[in-house]
Amino acid sequence: MNVTDKKDSSASSGAREYLTFRLDKEEYGIDILKVQEIRGYEPPTRIAHAPEFIKGVVNLRGTIVPIVDMRIKFNCAHAEYDNFTVVIILNLRERVVGVVVDSVSDVMELASEHIQAAPDIESAIDSTCIYGLGSVNDRMLILLDIEKLMSSVEMGLVSAGE
Amino acid sequence: MADIHQESSGGADFDLSQFYQIFFEEAGENLDQMEQILLDLDLESAQDEELNGIFRCAHSIKGGAATFGFADVAELTHHMESLLDKLRRHEITPVPQMVDVLLESADASRVLLARHQAGSQDEAPSYASLVRRISELASGEAPSAPEPTPSAVSTSPAPVSQPAVVVAAPGSPVLTGQRQLLVRIGPLERVESADAIKELFRDISGLGIIADEAIDDASMRAFRVDTSSSDEDLLDLFAFHVAKEQVSITALTSPALAPASAAAQVDGDSTYGFFQDAPGLPGQISKSQTVAGHSPTSPEPNKPLSPKTPDAKAGTQPQMESATIRVAVSKVDQLINLVGELVITQAMLAQNSQDLDTAVYQQLLAGLADLDRNTRDLQESVMSIRMIPMSIVFSRFPRMLRDLANKLGKKVDLVTLGEATELDKGLVEKITDPLTHLVRNSGDHGIEMPADRLAKGKPEHGTITLSASHQGGSIVIEVKDDGRGLSREKILRKAHERGIEISEHATDAEVWQLIFAPGFSTADVVTDVSGRGVGLDVVKRNIAALNGTVEVDSSEGYGMRVSVRLPLTLAIMDGMSVGVEDEVYILPLSSVVESFQVKDEEVSTVAQGSRLVKVRDEYMPVIAMEKIFQVPRNGSDRSSTIMVVVEADGSRVALLVDELLGQHQVVVKNLESNYRKVPNVSGATILGDGRVALILDTGSLVRRARH
Repeated sequence: MNVTDKKDSSASSGAREYLTFRLDKEEYGIDILKVQEIRGYEPPTRIAHAPEFIKGVVNLRGTIVPIVDMRIKFNCAHAEYDNFTVVIILNLRERVVGVVVDSVSDVMELASEHIQAAPDIESAIDSTCIYGLGSVNDRMLILLDIEKLMSSVEMGLVSAGE
Repeated sequence: MADIHQESSGGADFDLSQFYQIFFEEAGENLDQMEQILLDLDLESAQDEELNGIFRCAHSIKGGAATFGFADVAELTHHMESLLDKLRRHEITPVPQMVDVLLESADASRVLLARHQAGSQDEAPSYASLVRRISELASGEAPSAPEPTPSAVSTSPAPVSQPAVVVAAPGSPVLTGQRQLLVRIGPLERVESADAIKELFRDISGLGIIADEAIDDASMRAFRVDTSSSDEDLLDLFAFHVAKEQVSITALTSPALAPASAAAQVDGDSTYGFFQDAPGLPGQISKSQTVAGHSPTSPEPNKPLSPKTPDAKAGTQPQMESATIRVAVSKVDQLINLVGELVITQAMLAQNSQDLDTAVYQQLLAGLADLDRNTRDLQESVMSIRMIPMSIVFSRFPRMLRDLANKLGKKVDLVTLGEATELDKGLVEKITDPLTHLVRNSGDHGIEMPADRLAKGKPEHGTITLSASHQGGSIVIEVKDDGRGLSREKILRKAHERGIEISEHATDAEVWQLIFAPGFSTADVVTDVSGRGVGLDVVKRNIAALNGTVEVDSSEGYGMRVSVRLPLTLAIMDGMSVGVEDEVYILPLSSVVESFQVKDEEVSTVAQGSRLVKVRDEYMPVIAMEKIFQVPRNGSDRSSTIMVVVEADGSRVALLVDELLGQHQVVVKNLESNYRKVPNVSGATILGDGRVALILDTGSLVRRARH
């Protein structure tokens, strides 16, 4: 019955949609299915003894959501908060987390053939959290495994003992 | 012998009826669930999980019914349970009749329950025939029980309309027993296909005997059938070879069985006459009980539900009515969140309208005042949905303690305090078992025999006090007795015997914690009540699982007190908001003792570190909020000059803050669901302007200062 439908979807199988955002001059992509919503930045409530990149917690319609500034985590030169600063609210498997980025650019569909494995590079984050590098019109897109990144101990969102 | 009073603040009597209601609701749910599984059950490949599910439902109802003394329900469900038990052990194979009889029994249970619920004194409908049929099926010796039919058949029809028969004509064997039927098939284009039906009877043992019957019409076939299967089963079987519409079944014998007979009559005129062959059958019943054979092309499982039997007796049956509704907790939580949002919006409006000219905006301001009141009421009502008073838990104990005291020959009074303290429903369910254990422990080990008590100069009656209160953002439930108390020596000796390392100079609190070690018991004799050393460790583990703590305080010869401290996962708390620079923190109001302004010289230091302040002859440690929460000062000239004395765990500390902002009710939100545990913080809340404020954990602040 659904033979025709299946054909269509199988043609694009392997392709996933990514939300792309900018941190300084770098462009990143994350799985769009993990994104709950995009909001403007509002000053969070600071939490004592938290790492610098955890800006605090905000109230998202009654839920307390931690805010992580990716720019600080990724050692960007500037981390300023203005009207264009955007918070991407991620709905991960176990928790809701907001990440601060410079700007959100686009939603892109990337087929798996356009994604190459990330070379072993030294960076501010664990390289296993980089899913791959995508190339779109000569631009390089760093695809993050955001679920893994946010649940890693170094993000400080989970207690080390958990 | 034992004498129990319940001196309660609320004066609530021990009221069984509140449990009745819960039982009726649960039994109703269990019956619904059982029915659902039964209807979905595929006899050919019944999953163990499904069979176990049905068994559990029956078992729960039985247990509850027996507890509350509904013997008839208990008996019926007991029989169902026995049958189901054999089924799930695969001792017998499931057959459609079992599903039918179980469904009927479920309906009968429902009727019986409704009768109890309504407190009806009428004669109970008989369920003896059901019990007999269940037993027959369970013993597997029912001669009539056919083999499983080779199709997924007949789980859906009949059962729903059957119960009316059971109620109306108790004792009539509806399905079992041999019957002689006349089966007519046709008109058919290829009349030979009807002959295949004969093969069915040959292939399926136990189905019955079939013989040709003469018929005039060449395009039709007629058979005389001796069978114990229901008409529906036969029709479903025949459907393999001929369309159901072309089959008509007429009873030749046993008119009493006719109510269950189903004639496949699409063409009513041609078959109606058959009913006149059944003598003594009231036409009205035959008509209402006739289940039209459903078309094989559109099997509708719901179809049999619709034809309601116009049974005069059914109309007078008490219906299961409930004064409450059960909803998913997630729905309530969603409601609570939405109301929280509403409250914040309302607060924002109130703030923005403060500077408006009252003369010009009189109406708007009046409306806002109404909104304020309504939102508060709404919030309160919504919050109360999840909260239930501790009296629900406490009311179980008088009876339990009475039985215990009788058994042990002791005299015990029970005093309950703070029954109105409200607690989240989820917690209430989980705290009941640990509390039961503690109370039992007190009754068994704590309270001495009356003679011993008199010899020690104590009143003959021992007293166990149960109390609940909100303290410092937690709920504290205490079980206190005036019995013999804990013996430090005895515990230490036992500890050494068991090879537990503990210093002779350990503090009392450390020694008392030993009683929570697995297998630790100081009881001289193991009774069937307690003393095996199993239990207190489980209590502690259960409470720890709720993020709670257990503390013991005891004095040998004077009794002991066990305090269970639980966090409020979802509760409204009275909070006091304090400001440090421009940050706001919430202190649980119940732990705030007093506040005052201090001058620098009133604070003295000890060994260059800890600071102490003298408050009415007591030196207490000072905790500077700006230090402990690393509040950035950013060069402002504000400084903390206000001390707030907070009390937790029996000791006090003074918190140094910039300003007191006010007190209000706050909704405790979990910080850990999306983030992690933060030191010295028990949770978070949302302020009127939508910002998040952290709620301080005074208990850990005090512990931090004291150690």
